[in-house]
Amino acid sequence: MKRLPVSCPSCDGKLTVKQLLCDKCQTEVEGLYPLPPLAALTSEDQDFIIEFIKASGSLKEMATLLKVSYPTVRNRLDDIIGKLKRSESRDKK
Amino acid sequence: MNTDKKPITLLFNPFVYIAGGKALALGLLTILVASLLGSLSTTHFDGVLDTHTGRAAPLWFFLVEGVIAWLCLSLVLLILGRIISQTSFRSIDLLGTQALARWPTIFSALVCLPPAVRRFSNQLLEQIKRGGEFHINVADAAVFAVVLLAIIVFTCWMVALMYKSFSISCNVKGGKAIGTFIAGLLIAEILSLFCIWSLAKHALASSST
Repeated sequence: MKRLPVSCPSCDGKLTVKQLLCDKCQTEVEGLYPLPPLAALTSEDQDFIIEFIKASGSLKEMATLLKVSYPTVRNRLDDIIGKLKRSESRDKK
Repeated sequence: MNTDKKPITLLFNPFVYIAGGKALALGLLTILVASLLGSLSTTHFDGVLDTHTGRAAPLWFFLVEGVIAWLCLSLVLLILGRIISQTSFRSIDLLGTQALARWPTIFSALVCLPPAVRRFSNQLLEQIKRGGEFHINVADAAVFAVVLLAIIVFTCWMVALMYKSFSISCNVKGGKAIGTFIAGLLIAEILSLFCIWSLAKHALASSST
């Protein structure tokens, strides 16, 4: 699967969705749509969040699933929370 | 997340895979085994980083020394971790991984088993007390030098494990984490030496009377 670019390759600024396409009828929609915060995360972080939700938010279950220790999973989650908070504060500015 | 168990990760950062109650159980077993081996070779882990040979003592004393060394560092790092960590963490992860971080002491106790090590250290101490000319058994001295070098390597390995335990359990990284860990190590070392010295003074003195 192609990786969704989230930052500008030229200036590192945050990218915005300008065009959307309907797979079925090929209708094109144009406008300015900000990327949702989760979409701005790396695909690895997104996969982690999906698995975390599927595990009902249980860190213990995630640790068993990923075959790593509890603090390793919790630190990973804390890192993602940090990224989301930084992204949020950048958006507010 | 890469979950391949690389040998280098297992050696220097096993806490990626093991923490909590399991690490605590294995860590306590480590302290017990190191104490048993230590009592056979009269090797004392009488401080967070200390390894000394020579003084005979009952088995319980070796065990208590190991527990004091583990608890002193764990409690100091627990307090420092609560101060510097920006996220919440479980105390059992730090306590368990710190106990498991002491597993190189098993190797230190093992390499001290050859009688040449005790013989040489006792001879050396006696000659220092007596003064005058030094008479050294070259074969014993060679064994002692190799064992000393091995203990230094095992101690460095243990310190690396202790830092990883602190870093992962409290979710702290970088210069701030290293600085805090070094400060904690020094405080815990002094604290453990004081506790073990007090214990030796009272317990061993009362058992000898």
